[in-house]
Amino acid sequence: MCFTENFMQYLVNGLANGFLYALIALGYTLVYGVLQLINFAHSEVFMSGGFAGYFVLQAVVGRQPHGLMSVLMIVLGIVAGACGGGLIAFLLERVAYRPLRRRKAPKLAFLISAIGASYFLFNLAGKEFGRTSLSVPYIFNGTNSGIAFTFLGAQVQTMYLIWAAAAIVLLVSLDRVVAKTKLGQGIRAVAEDAETASLMGVNIDRVISQAFVLGGLLGGAAGFLYALNFGVVYTMGFTPALKAFTAAVLGGIGNLRGAMLGGLVLGVAESLPLSCVNFNWQDVIAFGILIVVLLFRPMGLLGERLGRSA
Amino acid sequence: MHTKLLSKFAGAALAAAVSALSLSATVTAASASSEPTYTIAYEGPLSGGNAQLGLNMKFAVQLAINQANAGTTFGHLPFKLAFLAADDQGSATQSPTAAQQVIGNSSVMALVGPAFSGATKAAEPLYAQAKLATVSPSATAPELAQHGWKNFFRVVADDNAQGPADATFAVKQLKAKKIYSIDDGSAYAQGLATAFDAAAKKLGASVTHATALGTTQCQAGTGNVQQYSAVATSIISSHAPVTFYAGYYCDFALLAKSLRSAGYKGILMSDDGSLDPHYVSEAGAKVANGTYISCACADLSKNAAAAPFAKQFRALAHFPVGTYSAESYDATNVIISVMKKLGVKGISRANIVNALHHVTYKGLTKVVKFQANGNIAGTAVYIYHVVNGKIVELGLAP
Repeated sequence: MCFTENFMQYLVNGLANGFLYALIALGYTLVYGVLQLINFAHSEVFMSGGFAGYFVLQAVVGRQPHGLMSVLMIVLGIVAGACGGGLIAFLLERVAYRPLRRRKAPKLAFLISAIGASYFLFNLAGKEFGRTSLSVPYIFNGTNSGIAFTFLGAQVQTMYLIWAAAAIVLLVSLDRVVAKTKLGQGIRAVAEDAETASLMGVNIDRVISQAFVLGGLLGGAAGFLYALNFGVVYTMGFTPALKAFTAAVLGGIGNLRGAMLGGLVLGVAESLPLSCVNFNWQDVIAFGILIVVLLFRPMGLLGERLGRSA
Repeated sequence: MHTKLLSKFAGAALAAAVSALSLSATVTAASASSEPTYTIAYEGPLSGGNAQLGLNMKFAVQLAINQANAGTTFGHLPFKLAFLAADDQGSATQSPTAAQQVIGNSSVMALVGPAFSGATKAAEPLYAQAKLATVSPSATAPELAQHGWKNFFRVVADDNAQGPADATFAVKQLKAKKIYSIDDGSAYAQGLATAFDAAAKKLGASVTHATALGTTQCQAGTGNVQQYSAVATSIISSHAPVTFYAGYYCDFALLAKSLRSAGYKGILMSDDGSLDPHYVSEAGAKVANGTYISCACADLSKNAAAAPFAKQFRALAHFPVGTYSAESYDATNVIISVMKKLGVKGISRANIVNALHHVTYKGLTKVVKFQANGNIAGTAVYIYHVVNGKIVELGLAP
């Protein structure tokens, strides 16, 4: 019974959640890479993406779209979510981080500033958009749900396929951007050694801003993908972002591929044991595994990439 | 990142701001008239994921007070009434703070609420100490009547009536031999689910029970929304033809969506916490259709005497009457009827408590008469069904 019954189903569920965690986790890791700071307002970047996608679809979707139109709508939602997330991340850096960095504030001040920004944003969203959960318009399968196919006894939902496809495309693109482009070179240089990078002519302010925006794009896209299934509400960022932060640490914070791996591992670790035990154990087991992994690999699965802070 | 501690502070600050506003409203009402002004308070969720249930009640209380002041329901009263709303977000942790705000205001003579059972359990010791009568339109946990709180009253039947009625409906009408029952971990849902499980087993059904904590998304607990894919997998592999959810509409909608998108074909059933059109709008009509919902409350639209109430409610609230609106209206009017009888000389917090123990008042929903423990006399439970995206009443539960 244990680990055999519904094994595949739990694996599929876990991977699907893992892809979302990975997308959000990258935002934490990118910012940590250049600033050695945890951006605790990232949960609200995620929420902004959800709302941006929601409002754009609300404006353009009339009748229920089908076929190619559905795909277009999903892409549109992801783009809108990414833009919303990217914009909020950009503003966050300008308003909550840059002034502190100019004044050489202690690390704790950044943390408090981020928590303040987070509170400001989610309360503003709650006040402006209402306190109740809003459903994203139905853009495929009648109710944004349903099963695409059955694979080795596991029912794979259409939603899971969308999450996986979008996440893989975004993760690979980010990996290429950071590895190949000038923008990526700048980020890597600042992460490696900010002082030397600036002596070599890298504009640190710009690189930091770019790291925030890149993380915001992915976090916002994840916000929309999440909203597609669960709806948008001002408190939506809290748990997913907390889990993603965990995933980033699990994979090795500051390490991009580590964040992707950490997300998937956390998603699966949460889900698989449920074929043995009641789902009330979900977080107990997932975080138990996290502690054990960190005991043996304190720097995370792929190791932390540490440079000197910008 | 919102930490729990910080959100507590924010909640307290918000509650303080709200009460400051209401206080100033009370003062202006008093200075405009030579008659004494008493306040009737309401405590319930006015923000958070289940705020709609609280708003359904708040406007009904306000309407009853407005009408009494205008002299339409009780004729000319020798006093004026003011209204104070205390937001507890439906949460047991926020509730004592809200209660303190109410108790600290000496013009408050009685309270309608608290709305949710968990919040009631947390705040009632404070109200009992202050000898302030609380008449809940909606808190249905059975244990609330067993603490010996003299000031506790409710105008709905408790879950000892609702749980077994739901179980009988599931086993006898829906012919379920196997039931998966879930609660959201709240005081209300656990009490209801316990009563449901026991009754269903007695009728010969096998029951699997699990707790899926209310989620942060719905502000109904600490649970994670992604748990529902695992919950759905467990339910589907149990092959139970009926799933019973004890909890509130916001999380029930998320569970229903997860179940349907994972391919569950069985029947969904829930309780009065899910009796809200938001359940349908959040889950989507396609998912919600066919769901059965129970409530110790009748559908007002079938009650001709309630038509003017529904109309006036809409004019005040700008949305139609919802679950527990009429019960809140009745709860407020019961309090006002007692105050009228006591007169200006007799009105005090303690006297209102005593008088409520002996009251008989014909309200919109039922004749209100309390048992010694504060429970309403009589136990009618109604079953509702979601058809074409609308929640319709089927009639009394068997």
